[in-house]
Amino acid sequence: MSTAQPSTRGAWVAALMGPAFASLAAWFIWGPALTRLPVGKPAVVPDAALSTAARRTTVGDPPTILINNFRRTCTDCHRIFDVAARPEGDRLQHAHVKLEHGINDRCQNCHNYRNMNELVLYDGGAVTYSEAPRLCQKCHGLIFEDWERGIHGRVSGAWTSELGPVQRLRCIECHDPHQPRHPAMDPLQPLPGPATLRMGTPPAGGAHAPELREGDPLRRALLHPQLSGNNRTERAQHEKP
Amino acid sequence: MKNPDSTPAAGGPQITRRSVLRGALNTAGGLAAFAAAVSPLRDLDRDELTLERFLQKHYKEMTPDEKDRALQRIAAEVERRYAARPELRDLPAMDGVEFAYALNLGRCIGCRRCVHACVAENNQSRDPEVQYIRVLELPRGSVDVERADHYYDRPAVPDPDHFYMPVQCHQCANPPCVKVCPVEATWQEPDGVTVIDYDWCIGCRYCEAACPYFARRFNFAEPSVPREKLNTDMTYLSNRPRRKGVMEKCHFCLQRTRAGRMPACLEVCPVGARNFGNLLDPDSQVAQILKTKHVLVLKQEANTLPRFFYYFDEDFPRNRGSAPARGSEAHRKGLSLTVLNPQAAQSLPGRGRGGPA
Repeated sequence: MSTAQPSTRGAWVAALMGPAFASLAAWFIWGPALTRLPVGKPAVVPDAALSTAARRTTVGDPPTILINNFRRTCTDCHRIFDVAARPEGDRLQHAHVKLEHGINDRCQNCHNYRNMNELVLYDGGAVTYSEAPRLCQKCHGLIFEDWERGIHGRVSGAWTSELGPVQRLRCIECHDPHQPRHPAMDPLQPLPGPATLRMGTPPAGGAHAPELREGDPLRRALLHPQLSGNNRTERAQHEKP
Repeated sequence: MKNPDSTPAAGGPQITRRSVLRGALNTAGGLAAFAAAVSPLRDLDRDELTLERFLQKHYKEMTPDEKDRALQRIAAEVERRYAARPELRDLPAMDGVEFAYALNLGRCIGCRRCVHACVAENNQSRDPEVQYIRVLELPRGSVDVERADHYYDRPAVPDPDHFYMPVQCHQCANPPCVKVCPVEATWQEPDGVTVIDYDWCIGCRYCEAACPYFARRFNFAEPSVPREKLNTDMTYLSNRPRRKGVMEKCHFCLQRTRAGRMPACLEVCPVGARNFGNLLDPDSQVAQILKTKHVLVLKQEANTLPRFFYYFDEDFPRNRGSAPARGSEAHRKGLSLTVLNPQAAQSLPGRGRGGPA
């Protein structure tokens, strides 16, 4: 018996080698699929979201409006309708204009009541519409300085004027002067899953689930597959009722 | 012993039916395992196993002739894959230029337009999605990246309790990713941009581990870019299509910036939070910001000397919260801090840097 024992063990090893190799082959083929991190569908990005055009189109200088197919400027009406005589807030026209500009809540702070085609400075001096930044400078001096230096506002074109045209926007090409705060935006979809294991998986309980972002992301993904991946639609359905 | 086959025979190994079957089974299993292990080789297409590609030198060692030939080879490959002739070229760094970026944290609203403008410009893989820019959402009050969330998904941004911090490659002057590369496939260019030779990268991902900003991305799968979405304006070191198994990262849009144009993430930013320019030119945007703003860098303690700066506007109501009432303790404290001379503050009530409250 003592002489036969090593050869029995050898027989066992040899008999198990075939299945071992076969399972190794199976692991090579299907293993990656089993351990792959759950990553959702890529984001759909509408081309319009990536537009580099200015956010607003500005009125001309002087501003014009089409009334009965005649192009009119402000003074065409306002030489008859004396705005200075009317109390503030009692507007016949321009009712759609909602003024949300902080403590600046009077039309005449910016509009020149003597000549409605123009804007007005503190000393009564007139500013044309194309020079609007000079008007904004009245209150926003620090930001105006930044804008003059080229470090405020949206730019495009060349990074130095030596290499091509630099397109700079004026204040009212981004900000609505009547509601200067930018409206809230819809953010584009987040990354559907981690680009590396160091990044962690997206939280399923919404953005406020810090406990889910801690620990080893791979282990968590394997233990709680339902907590990972892109469940944007599920969450949307969940939030409805 | 019942089985005489398994006993060691005196005259060497005996060939029996059992030993033949066992040997055949083990050989078949072994071959199957080997075939499965090398099966990724089947995914290689003919462009990946050409002699030209194999013999191509490192970018910095190529002569102009060799560079031209490499560019032609790559352009032909791209044309075969995407059915569009790319304008592939090699743009050298300009003299007297050091690129730098500055980002206004007070303005950023976290809309992720920059993320996707970058993907569109730089031919990143769409599926799986590779993005160079990560926008962190941080609670107000501190820059604590441990509490940051880059998966935030709100119906509307900005959230009043958070601020947003886009992070991309910081183009460090002391880049840890370059130091760890075992094959020198990544290096710092004279204009300060750290680039990758995608044909030289072996995909070891050491640089990804070394980067303190998580700025490097690895192509785990074959990148897929829809044909109609391919940006044909490309250079060797920047946005030419990559293959599976190589690293990539933000390169300040070298195909644009070395031709004089602004990076794509900057042009798309709807609130103008991003600024780019030549650090060595005192009139450039970034030089002006470094001169006039309080600038911070991310993870300063890592000593990476980034060329990517963050700043807050000094006087921007969104960051300040509600202004303290005039005459209150907080208002007087603010005055003494800004004016620095208490007597001057007393004599000039309400004349702090921020103007009347």
